[in-house]
Amino acid sequence: MRITSVKENEFYFIAIEGDLDASSSIQLDQAIEEALSKNETKIIVDCSQLEYISSAGLGVFMSYIQDFQANNISLILCHLSEKVLNVFQILGLDELIKIAATKEEAKNLIG
Amino acid sequence: MILKNLRNLYFILAFVSWVLILVDDITVIRLTSPIIPLYFSGILINVLLSTFFLFTFLGFKIEIGSKRTGHFNDLLWQVFITGAITVLISLTIKSAGLFSHNSMFLNDPLISNILYHVNIGIITIFLANGFYVWKKMILYQKTKRTDVVWHLFEYLVLISIVSNFFFFDISDPYFLLFTSPLTILGLISAFNLKWVAFLTYKQKWRSILLLSLIVIISLSFLERIYEHHITSNLVIDLADNVFIQAIFGFMLMNCIVALLVLLFNLPTSSVFEQKFGEVMLFQKLHQSLQVGEKEEDMYELLISSSMTTVMADAAWLEIRDNKGGLKAFQNSNIDEFDVFEIKKALRKNQVNISSEPQYIKDILSYPHTEKIKHLDYKSFLLIPLTSNNQLIGTLVLLKNLNDGFDKEMVDIIFTFVSQASISIKNFRLMSDAIQTERYQEELKIAKDVQQSLLPSSLYLNNTVQLSVYSKGAKEVGGDYYDVFELSPTRFAIVIGDVSGHGTSAAFNMAQMKGVFQSLVSLDLPADEFMVLANNALGRCLEKKNFITLSLFILNTETQTIEYARAGHCPAIHYNSLTNSCEFLDGKGLGLGLSRNNTYDKYINKYELSYSPDDVLILYTDGLVEAHNPSRDEYGYERLKQMGLETAKDQPKQIIDSIIEHVQHFSGSTQFEDDCTLLVLKFS
Repeated sequence: MRITSVKENEFYFIAIEGDLDASSSIQLDQAIEEALSKNETKIIVDCSQLEYISSAGLGVFMSYIQDFQANNISLILCHLSEKVLNVFQILGLDELIKIAATKEEAKNLIG
Repeated sequence: MILKNLRNLYFILAFVSWVLILVDDITVIRLTSPIIPLYFSGILINVLLSTFFLFTFLGFKIEIGSKRTGHFNDLLWQVFITGAITVLISLTIKSAGLFSHNSMFLNDPLISNILYHVNIGIITIFLANGFYVWKKMILYQKTKRTDVVWHLFEYLVLISIVSNFFFFDISDPYFLLFTSPLTILGLISAFNLKWVAFLTYKQKWRSILLLSLIVIISLSFLERIYEHHITSNLVIDLADNVFIQAIFGFMLMNCIVALLVLLFNLPTSSVFEQKFGEVMLFQKLHQSLQVGEKEEDMYELLISSSMTTVMADAAWLEIRDNKGGLKAFQNSNIDEFDVFEIKKALRKNQVNISSEPQYIKDILSYPHTEKIKHLDYKSFLLIPLTSNNQLIGTLVLLKNLNDGFDKEMVDIIFTFVSQASISIKNFRLMSDAIQTERYQEELKIAKDVQQSLLPSSLYLNNTVQLSVYSKGAKEVGGDYYDVFELSPTRFAIVIGDVSGHGTSAAFNMAQMKGVFQSLVSLDLPADEFMVLANNALGRCLEKKNFITLSLFILNTETQTIEYARAGHCPAIHYNSLTNSCEFLDGKGLGLGLSRNNTYDKYINKYELSYSPDDVLILYTDGLVEAHNPSRDEYGYERLKQMGLETAKDQPKQIIDSIIEHVQHFSGSTQFEDDCTLLVLKFS
């Protein structure tokens, strides 16, 4: 798994490639931690290359939800594959985390 | 025990022989008309003398043979003491004669012969003892050759006892020819002096002293024999005895050779001792590898042994753990602050620890050393401890001298340190193995706990058939299911999955069970149950953990099912009237995902009616996420299709068909995740 973070205007992009499982979720955790330490408020996670997400991977997003709400930070996922989107939907996480189809849509959602 | 008895028997026989010789002598000298003819008496004396020699020697052969080898000084001491005592006895007798002022006493052939016999006895004891002590020393670390040579020599010597019966002229060339093998074998044996090498410097000096004393004693005995030979009229004269002469010759030769070798060995002795010490160090190091000693003991041994080996004035040892952090620090004769200053000075001079040992001949010739000048350490030896090319520590040895370490020392220390590195590595592997084993043990316990949390029997009533398949993954997972009888016609059925693996999953599952058992008896609507469960679990679950759960409240009287789905995989309902399957995929968020008081917004309850022959399939994500080698998941659609195809079967058969199908798809009988499947069929 590989994670790359890029700052583009006011948006902070985190791209995830490969499988997000128990061992690689630590990297994602570090990437989000880094974004928070830089006081980023508009984070877009590009999941176009994300092939699989385990419950541990979901747990990482989960653990930040309250922080985001409290600090007025927006985190939006985009380009989810059908399989990954299904995982979010079954778990009901699509209600808690904003999910956009494309990057542009994500940018618009954050506003 | 038998040997000891045999030895005693030999000594008794020797003593009896000696007494008989004495008796015979008296009869020969005192009686004018002998009882036995003189000719026979001569033979008898020789026979008795021979048996006396033989048994004395055989007795000492057993006596000395049973002693432990290795304590050469003790053996030599024994020879000396025997000699000293015998000399003392013989001198006492002699002086008793001198002080009696009785010429009769001295000139009387009977008295002088008796005295001489006492001398024969003690000389024989001295020689027998000495002979077998030498045997022990000569055969120390024997080879096949030395063994054979010695035994030939020993047997020839014993055979030479027979010479008692003949008179020989020692200067006769034939006689010399006859005895030359004895001399040659004796000489060859005398040069087997391996024992000398094993003596310490001090022991060598002691040996030299003892050997010199033994030579003096031997010579004094020889002198005594020849004195009597010239002055007295003797019945038995040892001066003519080939056997006694041979042993004397052998003893003296051995003593002199050993003395010379010892003297020449003295200067190199300290080097030998040091080498021997090094061998012992390696042995000690090797022994410390035995189970039971700790890695820390190794450090102590390494530092102290290295210091003695190269005679260093101070040393310190740093040990790093597998991640490179400092794990242990050990210093000797130098305090930590000085070590710190020295390290600082070394760093300033770009002396860094690499995988090669480094030698600094004179640190004070380097710049930036003002602060360590007062410490008076000049030469440094820095040796890295490596294992599999990984630096695991550094040993630094310091000396007050310029260029204090020679190449020899450096080589030895390097070997020693690499041996120690292997030992340390082994200790670490060992403790890792123990750690892993403990972890495995914990997992096993967690697995047992998890199994015990699942219900053992799953009977509802006679209108519902229920079958279950539950298979744990290799590690502990968190699949959970349970049933509860609300009334004889109403049942709560729950299936869930705790996120994560291992002991924490088992622990969370136990919490889930507690929450279910306490809430279910309240007989709440399904969605309210979920709200309360979320509140309870939200408080105790770790932030990253959550639980997916589906609750079904089954009423067999009204043939209805009320359910709520908290993020769990949607159940499949087979409708026998329409012969179709549908997912019960209502809205619902997993438990623990939302921890403020808004969870009720994310959960709904639903209700459905069923008719006889309908089937309800409950499962966990381990089933639908089972994938084939090309990473295609089994997925929901295949499961739904299987539900439709097998709906006419009994629950047990439905389960078997589905599991078989999944395993066939994934090409493996082992699920990666744990996997649970519950099938209910109504009638």
